[in-house]
Amino acid sequence: MPSERRLHPLSILFALGDQLRAFALPAIALFFTAGSKGWGWEVWTLPLLIPSLVAAVLRYVSFRYRYEPGELVIRSGILFRNERHVPYARIQNLDAVQNVLHRLFGVVEVRVETGAGTEPEARMRVLPLSALQEMRAHVFGNRAVEPIVEAAPGETQASTAPAVRTLLHLTPRELAICGLIQNKGGVLLAAGLGLLWEWNVADRMFGWLPIPDWRPELPERLDPDRLEAVGRGALHDAIVAFTGAAGSLPLAILAAALFVLMLLALVRLLSVVWTLVQLYDFRLTRTGEDLRTEYGLLTRVAATVPLRRVQTLTIREGVLHRLFGYTSVRVDSAGGDGGETAANRAWIAPIVRRAALPALVRGVLAGVDVDALDWQPVHPRAFARRLRRSVVLSALVLPAVVGPLGWWALAIFAAAVAWSAVHARHWIAWLGWTGTDHIMAMRSGWLWRQITIAPLTKLQVISTHATPFDRRAGMATLRVDTAGAKDATHRIVVPYLPADTAAGLQAVLTRHAAATEFAW
Amino acid sequence: MDTAATAPPSPPQPAVADGLEHRLDPRIVRVHRMGGWITTAVTAGPFGVVLIGALLNPDPPVWLKALLTALWAGLSLLLGWWLHRYPALAYDHASYRIDEDVIEIRRGVVFRRVISVPRTRVQHTDVSQGPIERAYGLGTLVIYTAGTEYARVSLSGLEHGRALAIRDHLLPRGGADAV
Repeated sequence: MPSERRLHPLSILFALGDQLRAFALPAIALFFTAGSKGWGWEVWTLPLLIPSLVAAVLRYVSFRYRYEPGELVIRSGILFRNERHVPYARIQNLDAVQNVLHRLFGVVEVRVETGAGTEPEARMRVLPLSALQEMRAHVFGNRAVEPIVEAAPGETQASTAPAVRTLLHLTPRELAICGLIQNKGGVLLAAGLGLLWEWNVADRMFGWLPIPDWRPELPERLDPDRLEAVGRGALHDAIVAFTGAAGSLPLAILAAALFVLMLLALVRLLSVVWTLVQLYDFRLTRTGEDLRTEYGLLTRVAATVPLRRVQTLTIREGVLHRLFGYTSVRVDSAGGDGGETAANRAWIAPIVRRAALPALVRGVLAGVDVDALDWQPVHPRAFARRLRRSVVLSALVLPAVVGPLGWWALAIFAAAVAWSAVHARHWIAWLGWTGTDHIMAMRSGWLWRQITIAPLTKLQVISTHATPFDRRAGMATLRVDTAGAKDATHRIVVPYLPADTAAGLQAVLTRHAAATEFAW
Repeated sequence: MDTAATAPPSPPQPAVADGLEHRLDPRIVRVHRMGGWITTAVTAGPFGVVLIGALLNPDPPVWLKALLTALWAGLSLLLGWWLHRYPALAYDHASYRIDEDVIEIRRGVVFRRVISVPRTRVQHTDVSQGPIERAYGLGTLVIYTAGTEYARVSLSGLEHGRALAIRDHLLPRGGADAV
């Protein structure tokens, strides 16, 4: 019988992490606010941690796992014993997460994900680094996985280890562009402002600055008088400018515009910083038959996606991407979901030069040349249908806005129709599908364009749908279902196909799928 | 027929994978109608009780009571008529076809769809029977795939024995199930 292994003793600490974090924020708040008042009632909630501590210790004591020949066996529980068998073949991903604390102690949190459900099958918090290597070796069989080494592309490792090929390595400059394009700063800024507001930290941080209307005494926390004082400085000026309470009007407008511009610039800057921190040293490698990504400055994330579990590959690009000559690629694999890490894991290229795209796609889906795909348009009357729909919808809304707006409503209606026409023309022009002996692909979008490619071996159910409008126009929608599609996934759904084309495609795709075995 | 090799020793198996378009068992119309009557009763009943309460109340004027009664009766009849009529329409537009590789299901009165499930993508199958179905000897075949939207494809209105035969046909051919 194989020997059983346990978690790292520090697991107790990390298991308590969530609770500790819940206490950390109030503690920080206390630090900022307590001052001469001494400790508040919050201190008395600390004993509430004791049950969590006991639970963490018991969990550590009872948690065991071992490697059987074909499966991972995990035992846990004191009163309610649980023994879980996870066959290696069903394990989709071994995700390893290391934040600053983990790295400090040389441990790692491992999530074992299978195809079932949305939760990781097992969450090992935390293991020594060596145990992760051991687990990878067991789970991914004889495809021994070395830690990612700084291998020059094409250079082969020792004969036993599989070749590590770097498909993508992002430089800080590229990451900066990525942050500029993706704009995650808004969220950060909102969160930051929320925090500052919450604790009046801003006042304390900038309190010493010689701002003219600074009131010397520190009032109580959450004093109603204080809340309005947040609107000092730039924000205050902007508000004054908007309401026209001070200065001449043109000056006020100029000030407001400047303020908005500054804010936008700040948001973008934050986004760049955020991306640099989160995706620092992003590296996508192909190790044997696995795709591996590694990234992060503070929290280093390493994720593995076996190539055969890639269900679809999606290329997504916005206007800014095209302007800078970049694009982005993600894959959807069957297996665990939820949380930010899962969403990030799917990004195999948060940003990549357009010119390097074909090579990257070939590295994931062998034999697929994105630039040589032979895109087929949809039904010639698709544009007319799309436009008619928009006009009818606008016309339905029209009576409701005629009341308050009067004749302006007609102008807005005309503008809406014109916009719909522009949108429909571009949208239909880009909409398309294509297929080869190995893949099915579709593209859609206008400002944000997406291309999704699915290997025929990964197609599940193929269906055609026809609404009454479709039937009148002799059209149908083709839907190709794959495993692991999330809500946000760009699915292979091709509307406005000629009905016979849709039926023919359905038959061909079904035959192809039926001729191949599906193995997750 | 390679099914002979794997199937248990069962005598004359009706050809399941004949590649022909089959209609559902006509008794499914009656099953759905009974369900419709029950739905109508369950929906109209509570409103009827409320209505009786309102009628016993002396305050509202007679015309209002008449209007409410007419409304209740009208809507209940409409619902009942529709739930009586719809199963026949649905029956007219539903069919299935099975061959060696694919099971194809057509259905939908207003929104028509054709669903093709490759046999190699069938993860597992269920045959279920509700109480009314059991009374009529019908069953519902449920096919599970690894897909997202069509993780579960159901086909109701099969004679129970036929549903079982289709299930046997859809069982994985080889023993090597990679999932």
